[in-house]
Amino acid sequence: MEELIKKLKVEIIEVLNLEEMEPGDIDSDAALFGEGLGLDSIDALELIVLLEKNYGIKIEDPKDGRKIFFSIRTMAEFITENQK
Amino acid sequence: MEAYIRGIGNISPQNSWDNAVFPGEMVLYEGNRLKCIEPDYKEFIKPIQMRRMSRTLKMGVSAAGRCLRDAGIEAPDAIIVGTGLGMMQDTEKFLNAILDNDEKFLTPTSFIQSTHNTVGAHIAVMLKCNKYNLTYVHENISFEEALLDSLMRIKEDPSEKILLAGIDELTDEYFTITDNAGFWKKDIEGNSELLKHSSSGSIAGEGAIFFVVSGEEHPGNYARFAGVDTFYKPLSDDETESFIREFISSRGLEFQDIDLLITGMNGDNEGDNVYRRIQEKMFPGTPTAYYKHLCGEYYTSSAFASWLGAMIIKTGSYPESIIINGLRPEGAVNNILIYNQTNNTNHALTLLSTC
Repeated sequence: MEELIKKLKVEIIEVLNLEEMEPGDIDSDAALFGEGLGLDSIDALELIVLLEKNYGIKIEDPKDGRKIFFSIRTMAEFITENQK
Repeated sequence: MEAYIRGIGNISPQNSWDNAVFPGEMVLYEGNRLKCIEPDYKEFIKPIQMRRMSRTLKMGVSAAGRCLRDAGIEAPDAIIVGTGLGMMQDTEKFLNAILDNDEKFLTPTSFIQSTHNTVGAHIAVMLKCNKYNLTYVHENISFEEALLDSLMRIKEDPSEKILLAGIDELTDEYFTITDNAGFWKKDIEGNSELLKHSSSGSIAGEGAIFFVVSGEEHPGNYARFAGVDTFYKPLSDDETESFIREFISSRGLEFQDIDLLITGMNGDNEGDNVYRRIQEKMFPGTPTAYYKHLCGEYYTSSAFASWLGAMIIKTGSYPESIIINGLRPEGAVNNILIYNQTNNTNHALTLLSTC
């Protein structure tokens, strides 16, 4: 799990152009949207594409997004549970 | 129709960011490509906003911010942008993603920002300006079309303060493709040699030039746009001459009233001959200049010429390197005629006068 979390942080920094951030700057349990990392709705779309492209996982119900993308850890847990 | 230039923000391959320094020393480049000297964007853009912006968008937003600050206004009454190519970097990114991923997994950011009106729209969002917002895309007369719209709006309401721009970027891919197509000179040592080579092609350039224009007089005004007109594909030089003659006389001027003619000569033999023929026949005693060795050739480079003309009128001085016929303006420069054309197809005239 920790390896996957580390990999996800690197991928998110690249996809969202968080140029001045290092993987260590992102708290695995902090909220990605709102108060935490401050991401917005366009970032959410980028993350959905990232899951599909890099891990082959498609989010069928958009309502699940809020739970899946709460933090890096919830994303990693979702990937672990759903990756074939 | 006329409008005063109240503020300027210019990002170009020259040191044009500081309006208090003119004429600065000419920045020399080797080869056939000129790139903009970029300012510190953090002054105008928050890091969280900047991460999603392409280079041109950062240039546009910053030049707009600099221009509004120069004019002393917070938000304009209209945003009118001219661009030949729009957001090339995002367009290339988006199209490459389609190819690389076999038309799957398309991410939204570069697609959203790949449209021609991205700069005008982004400035409006940042300023919370929900007023008139238009982008003109018409090859090398894109800026003139935007200027014409600005002048028409100011004729309707002289109190309007309009943010007017000419912006185009030069990406690596666009440069490579156009270089292979023979747009740019292969045998040139640098921009200072532009008119010394008798060959086809020019040197590539880019820029983001913003003006705040208004119908109101103000002590800080730089100069006055006293007219603009365009002309398509003349059948002969006679037609071009009539167009120029009509343009000057309709502004109540005589040929001798033009203190400086700024041409769009770009080193391309065929295109430059059009300017030479017109200059020799119609303006034999007029100091004549060019500007594309300073900013390179790009669709909205005439916005750079307007900046150059406005600064000459405001300061009374000019860069020595722009003069091409040995004649220099004597005394105050009251009227500057900018004449730009590409491949003898789209011709444009802009008249700049004192306030």
